[in-house]
Amino acid sequence: MLFNSLDFAIFLPIVFVLYWFVVNKNLKQQNILIALASYVFYGWWDWRFLALILFSTLVDYVVGVSLGKEQNLNKRKILLWISILVNLGFLGFFKYYNFFLDNFKSAFTFFGSEINANSLNIILPVGISFYTFQTLSYTIDVYKKRLEPTKDFISFAAFVSFFPQLVAGPIERATNLLPQMLSKRKFEYSEAVDGLRQILWGLFKKIVIADNCATYANLIFNNSADYSGNTLVLGAIFFTFQIYGDFSGYSDIAIGTSRLFGFKLMQNFAFPYFSRDIAEFWRRWHISLSTWFRDYLYIPLGGSRGGTWIKVRNTFIIFIVSGFWHGANWTFVVWGALNALYFLPLLLTKRNRQNLGTVAEGSYLPSIKEFSNVAITFGLTVFAWIFFRADNIGHAISYISGMFSSSLFTIPRHIFGFQGLITIILVAIFVLIEWQGREEQFALSNLESKWKRPLRHAFYYAIIISLIWFSGEEQAFIYFQF
Amino acid sequence: MKKFIKKVVIFIIPIFILLFGVSFLADGDSDNIYLKFTSPQQKSLILGTSRAAQGIQPNVFKEILGIDIFNYAFNVNFSPYGKVYYESVLKKHKREKNGIFILTVDPWSISSFNKNPNDMDMFRENDTPIANMNFVNSSPNFEYLFKYFKGHYKNIIIDHSRFLYLHKDGWLDVSGLDMDSIAYNGRIQRTLEPFREIKTNLSQVRLDYLLKTVNYFKKYGEVYIVRLPVYPQMAEIDNKMMPNFEYIISEVIQNSDGYLDMLPASNRYKYIDSNHLHKESGAVVSQEIAEWIKAQRNLK
Repeated sequence: MLFNSLDFAIFLPIVFVLYWFVVNKNLKQQNILIALASYVFYGWWDWRFLALILFSTLVDYVVGVSLGKEQNLNKRKILLWISILVNLGFLGFFKYYNFFLDNFKSAFTFFGSEINANSLNIILPVGISFYTFQTLSYTIDVYKKRLEPTKDFISFAAFVSFFPQLVAGPIERATNLLPQMLSKRKFEYSEAVDGLRQILWGLFKKIVIADNCATYANLIFNNSADYSGNTLVLGAIFFTFQIYGDFSGYSDIAIGTSRLFGFKLMQNFAFPYFSRDIAEFWRRWHISLSTWFRDYLYIPLGGSRGGTWIKVRNTFIIFIVSGFWHGANWTFVVWGALNALYFLPLLLTKRNRQNLGTVAEGSYLPSIKEFSNVAITFGLTVFAWIFFRADNIGHAISYISGMFSSSLFTIPRHIFGFQGLITIILVAIFVLIEWQGREEQFALSNLESKWKRPLRHAFYYAIIISLIWFSGEEQAFIYFQF
Repeated sequence: MKKFIKKVVIFIIPIFILLFGVSFLADGDSDNIYLKFTSPQQKSLILGTSRAAQGIQPNVFKEILGIDIFNYAFNVNFSPYGKVYYESVLKKHKREKNGIFILTVDPWSISSFNKNPNDMDMFRENDTPIANMNFVNSSPNFEYLFKYFKGHYKNIIIDHSRFLYLHKDGWLDVSGLDMDSIAYNGRIQRTLEPFREIKTNLSQVRLDYLLKTVNYFKKYGEVYIVRLPVYPQMAEIDNKMMPNFEYIISEVIQNSDGYLDMLPASNRYKYIDSNHLHKESGAVVSQEIAEWIKAQRNLK
């Protein structure tokens, strides 16, 4: 079920009313409702893969309970590895089987011998990368004794399948979400209102910004050989806003929906395009994944302790694995490696934590230095996104070659028309709204303390009308495919 | 909690009223097919692909035969003969006697683009509005607006196309296209190209459904089979694709009240591209079909 569908618009109020009016007095019943609603939500897309979530839930629940009882270190390790192998096994099969097979076949052919193995027609279950990492975090935390295993299967199932964030995150830690599942939730008016505001803003990001930018990004990327350098630059910028609007929009809707049910999820995006360097960008982009890799991969590998070689190795590992997490394509690997290259100079010169606050904190405008740093970081990010969006490495290279050809300095061809101009204006307005709210959890947070009610309501209606009037051609959420 | 719900409901009501009001404004300018799903059930129908949707003008039949006939033809991807179109037609049809049914036929409407032409799961119309619409006779049609107007609500208020207008009788009026020789020839060649490249196979399943449609309508009136004219080079492609077309549909013809093949006279008419009649020629063709039906009825 998509957040921006009529199905969800009917589903959400029904679950909300049942949750707060019918089963509100009994925590167990509330969690049963969450689990059932989540399975309906997921099954709406394809019910066959519900078995996968259920199996993964069962395995991690049993492993968790066993880890709670078991004191023998070797046995505990075996239990941990069972969970890792099951979860990563599913992920590896559904997401990477064909990729590795094709690459092995190519490698063998290159060295003069052929192997006969057929690719499988595998459907990637939506959100598998997200819920797999969420359940893994539980097992690892229980293994590390950071978390007591739960014996409440219903609550655990609700934690794994919690519908607002099941298919595209934020990837919640068991240490944050599971205790909330196990304790009584209280309806808070201000939280619910702010949650609705966050949903509205998420819908705007997705339907108005991402879907409109997608029209032009797709047009330019799919026909990149036909366009001049400056149009290709514009295509990359359109994609930059598409992916941000798409993914952060989804996260906003997920977090906002959770708040309606009394849950607090972690912030997943913190205005990443206002970052002053790449290290800051990665502290602000897809925070739940970055911190997951930091805690469960980077730090166990030694992190930034140790010699230069260790730092370089660990940085490349975390960025490349992060790239590969996004999809079975070399383009994602190169995108990750490129970001590692951006990040390394900051790490090696110990300047990776120099921008921990918010840009231009407390003032309306940034300084010239801040502005130029933001612009440079944004430019680097736009360049890296080309690899992320391209169909393959060859496409990315030809796109970049076309971009930096002499046609970069020609007059751009008028390909966008009036609608294109409207899209550019909408993006500009969007950036301004994001800028004014950059010190908040999301751009419209705490609006009641800043604006009077008539202005606020007029603004909400303006957003709703823009959702109807300026909505772009419907596109699937990009991160569903990861 | 109650305060929250009350405020949300009060906030949402004006939006619903606005959307509801705007829905009533949707017309032939808003979308190419919306009005096909807003008319009430029809006693007489015209079926087929876009050749019929653009080529046959129901108002001409009103003048000559004195009947109200509704053009329920779509395009080659949405409405080839098959289970999907048949079931949609059943929803649109008002089960009354003395109806007139014009079923236009061509090789494309009984062919499949797949290797196995009889695999219904792979039919091209399976994920189209024809397949997905449960309600085809309500005005406004909220099902269509919710399912297919996403991203297009502004088209309800702004005329979205300079060239297309769907009349309330289902006729898709195409006008205003550049008809100078360069634009016209370019359009002809551009629209011929895909049809030269597509590989098709006769589908026995589609043919069976065409026959089933004829037999169904026979219970409610007269059924006429018409092969519409197309641009001569397109006619060549059609003939090459299925040289024995008339033989293939012979059972369909036998079960009908008459067959009119206008393809041999294709060079008598004007077109807007390789497939579709110019509206002036469409009026002439509609008149000829109506006169032919009148003559057929007089013969009985």
